[in-house]
Amino acid sequence: MKHWKSLLAATCMSALMTGSALAEGSLIVGSVGVPRHFNGAIQSGVYTFMPSSNIYASPLRYSKSWEPEPYVATAWETSEDGLTVTLTLRDDVKFHDGEPLTASDVKFSIETIKANHPFKTMLEPVASVEAPDDTTVIIHLAHPHPALLLAMSPVLMPILPEHVYGADAGDIQQNPANLAPVGAGPFKFVEYKQGEYYKLAKNEDFFIEGKPYLDEIYVQIFPDSNSLILALERGDVDMVPFVSSPRDLKRLSDNADLVIESDLGQAIGPINWLAYNTKKAPLDDVRVRKAINYAIDRDFIVNVLLQGQAPVAPGPIVPGSPLANANVENYDLDIDKANALLDEAGLMPGADGMRFTITADTTNGSEEMGRNLLDYMKSQLRKVGVNVEIRIAPDFPTWAKRISNYDYDVTIDKVFNWGDPVIGVNRTYVSSNIRPGVIWSNTGQYENARVDELLAAAATETDQEKRKALYDEFQEIVVDETPIYFLNVIPYNTVYKKGLIGIPDGIWGAVSPMDDLRWE
Amino acid sequence: MMKSDPMTDTLPPQAEVAPPPAAKPDHPMRETMKIFLRNKSAAGGLILLLAILFATVFGPSMYGVDPLEMVWVPLSPPGDGTPLGTDYIGRDILAGVLVGGRVTLIVGAVSAIMTIVIGILVGAFAGFFGGRTDVALMKFTEFFQVLPSLLLAMVLVTIFAPSLFTIILAIGIVGWAQVARLTRAEFMRIGNLEYVKAARAAGAGNAYLMFRVILPGSLPPIIVASALVTGSSILFEAGLSFLGLGDPNQLTWGLIIGQNQNYLLDAWWTVTCPGVAIFLTVLAISLIGDGINDALNPRARKRA
Repeated sequence: MKHWKSLLAATCMSALMTGSALAEGSLIVGSVGVPRHFNGAIQSGVYTFMPSSNIYASPLRYSKSWEPEPYVATAWETSEDGLTVTLTLRDDVKFHDGEPLTASDVKFSIETIKANHPFKTMLEPVASVEAPDDTTVIIHLAHPHPALLLAMSPVLMPILPEHVYGADAGDIQQNPANLAPVGAGPFKFVEYKQGEYYKLAKNEDFFIEGKPYLDEIYVQIFPDSNSLILALERGDVDMVPFVSSPRDLKRLSDNADLVIESDLGQAIGPINWLAYNTKKAPLDDVRVRKAINYAIDRDFIVNVLLQGQAPVAPGPIVPGSPLANANVENYDLDIDKANALLDEAGLMPGADGMRFTITADTTNGSEEMGRNLLDYMKSQLRKVGVNVEIRIAPDFPTWAKRISNYDYDVTIDKVFNWGDPVIGVNRTYVSSNIRPGVIWSNTGQYENARVDELLAAAATETDQEKRKALYDEFQEIVVDETPIYFLNVIPYNTVYKKGLIGIPDGIWGAVSPMDDLRWE
Repeated sequence: MMKSDPMTDTLPPQAEVAPPPAAKPDHPMRETMKIFLRNKSAAGGLILLLAILFATVFGPSMYGVDPLEMVWVPLSPPGDGTPLGTDYIGRDILAGVLVGGRVTLIVGAVSAIMTIVIGILVGAFAGFFGGRTDVALMKFTEFFQVLPSLLLAMVLVTIFAPSLFTIILAIGIVGWAQVARLTRAEFMRIGNLEYVKAARAAGAGNAYLMFRVILPGSLPPIIVASALVTGSSILFEAGLSFLGLGDPNQLTWGLIIGQNQNYLLDAWWTVTCPGVAIFLTVLAISLIGDGINDALNPRARKRA
């Protein structure tokens, strides 16, 4: 009954907005992000990735247990020396315009991504790509690159049609095909009204028999998350991905018509943390950073301020990753220890009981994982004689400019793992990535030769056990020297109506293909 | 060579313009005060404001709870451990309201003074000199009047990082236009009265005329306006804080509301208590302003 009503509502709504009724088996997804375009090969961000993963196919996809599975590629083989990866493709894959997908499209896509994707380290070791015949792709690497297979996921390696983009199409960022994408994925692009909605329709010729189930996906873009959550509660939308506000989650969890899926998207790995400027006194002293960590009660943050809706992030790699190391210093609340460490660092309290003042940065908006945490810190750090001046940047560019030019003491920051440490973790810690003016580089100016060495070794280590050992040591060092105090994993939950099944719940969560999604 | 001024020749002797010695028993100030206090709502407003001032000046040390200290279970309701409940971190709301009142009232007063000073200066020059000066200054004033004031204040605060100083500055900059128009009208009216002409004839300079002769006569409506401006400045600061543009390091009523707005549905007391404080303060100031208006109005005087 509920489902029928929602469909009716959906139909009416869509008829009002687009002038055409939605067919049965359609889905309304609510979103707040406005995608610049749909080409995930040259643009990052979940709001581009979500449609891109559905419009384009990719060589591989990943299981919930982080195992590669066949998608366009039926077989993949890494040579003994780790320098060559050979893919065998299906021969029955067609783009939405009817042209066959061949090895040369894969070669074109890999080269395009290497040249244009914001994740520079993702395909950096790729030296050359060969397409000896229509179904074979040979990737030659400059050095072994264990992150390569994960980088072949739908979200990171959409296969672009070479015949649409052409070999000499000029600046790919300006290519009109980015806004009228042609892929080989489960859904075809229908239309996009910038800032309002976009519509995807079933790809009848999808290469996996019987899929996808849904006829249409209609993504409605809301101006803010409040109106989006209200629409979800009213039943106007069927599914909302990336719900991360603890307050919203708490409220939605009381709604009997909705289901909250939280065990997904580990590969996206968004972490909310407190970053120190490790070159700025007194924070250049590791004892001072540790003292601050000990004075902050992370359990209080997670259980009370975040209302138990977000998991603790013990270290630089999210707990859901097979490479995560849980045996690191936990910085349990210890005011005495914090005071002792500060005394030891020679920062004695003045007449007013205060030792020193630090400025704490965040941006306007997302108070729950921003300003509220700093307000808490301000109250809490007074207990150890540290005065906190909160500085709220009015917008993202102002904040990014301050942080990337090292004009800060500590800041709240949100940084994503993106599956493999080589893609999303290394950038924050390797000394070669201290690049002034570049946000989400090593903005803490952290330098440790052993960390550089470990990360370089792990990037090329093909043995999973040995690789894990290298990352374990890396995590112990980084948590111990604490250029960053890791606070919480940002919950990227998908909330949907009861009756919807086959939710994309793999390691890439809502940025995976929705070919299994359907109404009961 | 000196030339005798025809004006000085025709000027009557000083003694003749001097008013006859007044035999009035009551000082005008005292009379005004009497009329003011006879007005029940104005007297109530005054008592309320004095009570609020007392609470914010002496309250914090009497209550003795640090408003930044996390003293109790977060979001616990009033009466359950703390008199007015706690916020999302567990800080005492009552302590926050008492301490926050100080900065709030200072912001209100200082930005009101700024508004009045800018307004009087602009209005006085426009009304006194007239002509091109008037046209130019009034066009300038109109420019500020047509801009949506909260939006302009937001832009100003956003451009210069939100601090107490920039907030006061922003409120002052967006609020003076009305005072300027009021002052200008008064100056134009009074500027043509006999006693001003006389003073001019007696050789008074422009500055003396503007600020010693005309200004005192035009003060009553400006005093009323300043009371209202103080109230609206407090509301402005609260509005900016609510939008997250307050100074995050200065505890004000607006900041408490802004910090707790996310918990409005779960914990009404976190925003209601500072909200009521703002409401009462602005109400008291408005009542006082009304009372002053009545007391200074000659017609009301006759009624009384």
